[in-house]
Amino acid sequence: MIEASEIETKLLDFLKREVFAPEVVVTPETDLLASGFDSMSLVRVLLFLEQSYGFWIPEGEITGDALQNVRSLATTAARVLNAR
Amino acid sequence: MPGKLPLNGCDYLMLGFDHEMRRHGYAGNSCQIELELDAAIAPEFLRQRIALLVNRHPILRARPGGWLMPKWKLPGEDATMPQVRIHREQPGLREKLCDEPLDMKRGELFRFDLVEPVGGRMNVIFTWAHTLMDANSAEHFVALIGREDVPLPAVTPPVSARPQKTFREKFQLARKSVQQLDEFIKNKPRTVGVRFPAAPKIQRFRVERFSPEETARVRANGVKLCGAFGGAQFHAAAAMIELHQLHQRVGKPSASYVLPVPVSLRAKGSVEPLFCNQVTMMMTQLLPAQLDTTANAVAALKPQIAQAMRDGLIEAGVAIADLSRSLPLIPYMFMLKLGLRGEICSFFYGDVAAVTPLLTTFCGANVREFTHVGATTPSPGIGAIFYSFRGELRITVFHLETHFTTAEAESFAKGLRARLLNP
Repeated sequence: MIEASEIETKLLDFLKREVFAPEVVVTPETDLLASGFDSMSLVRVLLFLEQSYGFWIPEGEITGDALQNVRSLATTAARVLNAR
Repeated sequence: MPGKLPLNGCDYLMLGFDHEMRRHGYAGNSCQIELELDAAIAPEFLRQRIALLVNRHPILRARPGGWLMPKWKLPGEDATMPQVRIHREQPGLREKLCDEPLDMKRGELFRFDLVEPVGGRMNVIFTWAHTLMDANSAEHFVALIGREDVPLPAVTPPVSARPQKTFREKFQLARKSVQQLDEFIKNKPRTVGVRFPAAPKIQRFRVERFSPEETARVRANGVKLCGAFGGAQFHAAAAMIELHQLHQRVGKPSASYVLPVPVSLRAKGSVEPLFCNQVTMMMTQLLPAQLDTTANAVAALKPQIAQAMRDGLIEAGVAIADLSRSLPLIPYMFMLKLGLRGEICSFFYGDVAAVTPLLTTFCGANVREFTHVGATTPSPGIGAIFYSFRGELRITVFHLETHFTTAEAESFAKGLRARLLNP
């Protein structure tokens, strides 16, 4: 069982390090789209999750609701990873 | 103060394309942004804003120099200042401006043309050298010129913040990219070549505008086929199907089509570094059998993008561009021509997403309409740039008259529009 909080922590670290500019404050509640997150950023996140958990989450699972912020993205990822 | 600044790898590639286009008699690798304003603006105010930025960033009047190893050469005080010109609206003016090359050797890296139509409004046409900046930078730069409330960019050399790699690391990455291209070449991609050698060496464009309802429909279709965030892949897949159909209509179908997908290298949430290209290309290939339905084209494209990222081909593209700087210009141009002769790129595709919200006003006037115009090299001779302004989708389709007729480009654009609405 993978906890959503564990994914959230890893995602936050990855996004701060690899995706967003240093001046962007990234928290679990940060609005991803408003902060410049784009389709290539999503592919990078999916790739990061694949490298971390050995499973490629189909893009179809990532709905608009899932992309609201880091927390909702982590919750979606945990649901899909635990259901595989 | 005279001096020199480096071009990054991507700038260098863009300069190479500029040479290639000019060598064939076209205007060069310059692109345009057109703003339709609701009121006339004062040219003097515009000149003052430009002077402020040019004095702060001398690179804005630099010239590409250095015969063997190109660099930006920063001029002394006698350098040509960027132009602001004023025109009366007349038939054919827009096309004339589109085909007028920038005089980069004299430091003309951008130009503003103010066109006064009837009714007191004004159109602003901003022409910019792709060697200096990319499309996202160009949007931000226009906003900087036109709005005093936008913070000025940092006065630092325009270098990437990406981690530097050793020559050995770059070489290993570049090999991956070359291996991928070798695989693509096995499927014999071919563009149409110059079909009308006697045609004038000009580029033409047309803009497809989508209403808010149509934009929502295109977005919904993209979500259905590609997930919540796959709009760009949907656009690219639709464009490649229409390209294949265009090739079939002109009697030159290709055994495969190579699509370079641009990837922004800027950290999200930042516009800097501003005065250098921060884009690399992720190469993908589509076979005619994959271009029968939009769903099939998307299904062929998506795994290629994921695999390319998995294989580190973004970094490989950066490495190739970086390594190209180490080549003297003449051998590099020879390599570039070899690549173009191999018809590696079948289509120029850009997707810059939403136009910066800063461009709702310019020099005090409201921006009623916004248009991006890209540039294409003699091969493949056609391309499209996708963007949205005030939430409405726009597509500018541009083509070279030596390769496609205006009617053919129009049929491509209309087909693309129909496919996005009804995939």
